[in-house]
Amino acid sequence: MGVVCVFACPVPEGKSGQQVVDGLQKQVEMMGATKSGNFLVDCETYQSNPQNVTQTPQQCVVNILHNSEHPASCFSVTESGQILVSDLLFEDLMSKLTMAKAGRESFYSQRKGFKIESRGQRYEVGDFIIKIGSVSLASNFRGILIEVEYCPCVILNECWNMMKELLQSMVGNSAETPPPVLKHKPDTVYTPSDTILQYLDHFNNFRKAVSAPPPSR
Amino acid sequence: MADNRLDTQIEKLTQAIKLTQKLRASVTKVFTDLSDGFQAPKGDEKALLNKLQKSLTAVNDNLGDLEKLAPNIHSTTNIPPLLLNSVGLLGLDPATDKSGITTQLHHTHKWTNKVHKLGDYTAQFLGTNQLKRTNQGPAGQAKRLRRPEPTIHRIPENINIQQLVASVDRAYADMSVSLIRPMGNSTVLQITLAKTLKAVIVLRGLLIEYVSIKAYSEDFLTDDGRPDIWSKSKYQVFNKVTDLVTAGTIHFYHPQLPDASLKSFLIWLNNYKTLFSAPCSKCGKYLQGFLPPIWRDTRSSQPLHDGCRQ
Ligand SMILES: [Zn+2]
Repeated sequence: MGVVCVFACPVPEGKSGQQVVDGLQKQVEMMGATKSGNFLVDCETYQSNPQNVTQTPQQCVVNILHNSEHPASCFSVTESGQILVSDLLFEDLMSKLTMAKAGRESFYSQRKGFKIESRGQRYEVGDFIIKIGSVSLASNFRGILIEVEYCPCVILNECWNMMKELLQSMVGNSAETPPPVLKHKPDTVYTPSDTILQYLDHFNNFRKAVSAPPPSR
Repeated sequence: MADNRLDTQIEKLTQAIKLTQKLRASVTKVFTDLSDGFQAPKGDEKALLNKLQKSLTAVNDNLGDLEKLAPNIHSTTNIPPLLLNSVGLLGLDPATDKSGITTQLHHTHKWTNKVHKLGDYTAQFLGTNQLKRTNQGPAGQAKRLRRPEPTIHRIPENINIQQLVASVDRAYADMSVSLIRPMGNSTVLQITLAKTLKAVIVLRGLLIEYVSIKAYSEDFLTDDGRPDIWSKSKYQVFNKVTDLVTAGTIHFYHPQLPDASLKSFLIWLNNYKTLFSAPCSKCGKYLQGFLPPIWRDTRSSQPLHDGCRQ
């Protein structure tokens, strides 16, 4: 487990998402990267039903995320960014909480049309792992996320300049500064939770842009 | 019949021992005569030479007798004669003996020792014949004379390795060096450099014998938790760094000043704390072939890509 940076790759006008993904894959393969399977990061969102959760009168939101890189873990993130890493068994608890019982409404309910995921090809080159993912929200294409991991290093600030060199060759100037989610902890040891927070940040941005018409696929 | 064979064998052995004693006596006689002088009238050199010749012939005869007997004595075990010491006993397991690996290891060990010893002497001679134009003066000469014998793998008494390690540990806040002695006499240094890398250095005396470098997130343990210093790092970059640092140990090797050589090596190793964060001092880039600048110049400590070293 090293340092991971996730960046959105802009889709230029007049090009489809698939074309951009194909171009990126070709570019990564030209660099000498080898395919090493597929990957998936998904996110479901649950909201509380205020009449049952009395301590917090306002509605609260929990995001449940999975990352194929850590297949036995389940990540739960609240709106304030609190993160809980647990076994997959946590899902059973969540499904209990979303069940309506004895005429009462459930504690939590799943937000409809909010399931968002990034899936695509995983590549390895040197000590780097590169993932090119297409993001789809309720099975509509929304954009492209590029994840680069440098495995030997655990401190973002140490290897950021190296990663920048690699990232800028793919996503251009959007990789000028480290991902905003990681700003508060540049010198501490990187954890898998930090990857999840980056994905959630991107997913929230894609959801916000949902009011705009989706780009053609 | 077997008893009979054993008897003759023992008889031959006893004979050989007797012959060896005889040879020893005659050789001793030659040397005592030569050192103490012959008892002969003055001026009679011919008599002296005759006496010497006589005793030398005796030596020759005795040696001839022993050599004649030698082929008849068979080794009772398969261990080659050079292994007839405590090391040889290591290889008495028939399964491993068949592969001959113990013998080979023993040879290699002896050979390496010899190379080190010769290297030390060469360094000593070359050190005294430096092609320098300026005269070093009497002070330098006196210093040269006081130089200790090559130590190879023995720690000189005046050097306390514990103190040496502790002084390096104290001098660099981001480098923790600890000394462990897993098998009593051998010394292993465990180094954690910032949050960049972990290293294990195996010393023989003060001589660096083995270096292994891994990522900060890796450890020197097997899957079931036992210490394991021989396995390689999962990452390309640290395997390359291990190779280069091993080459670096040769640069810092100095038989006459083993403590200084170890210390300057550790100070040089400290430069690797910027392994991921420093750009190459030649091309200014961070990545080359997906690797950071993995070499640190031994003089200037500047970071360089493997391909930018020349
Ligand atoms: Zn360079």
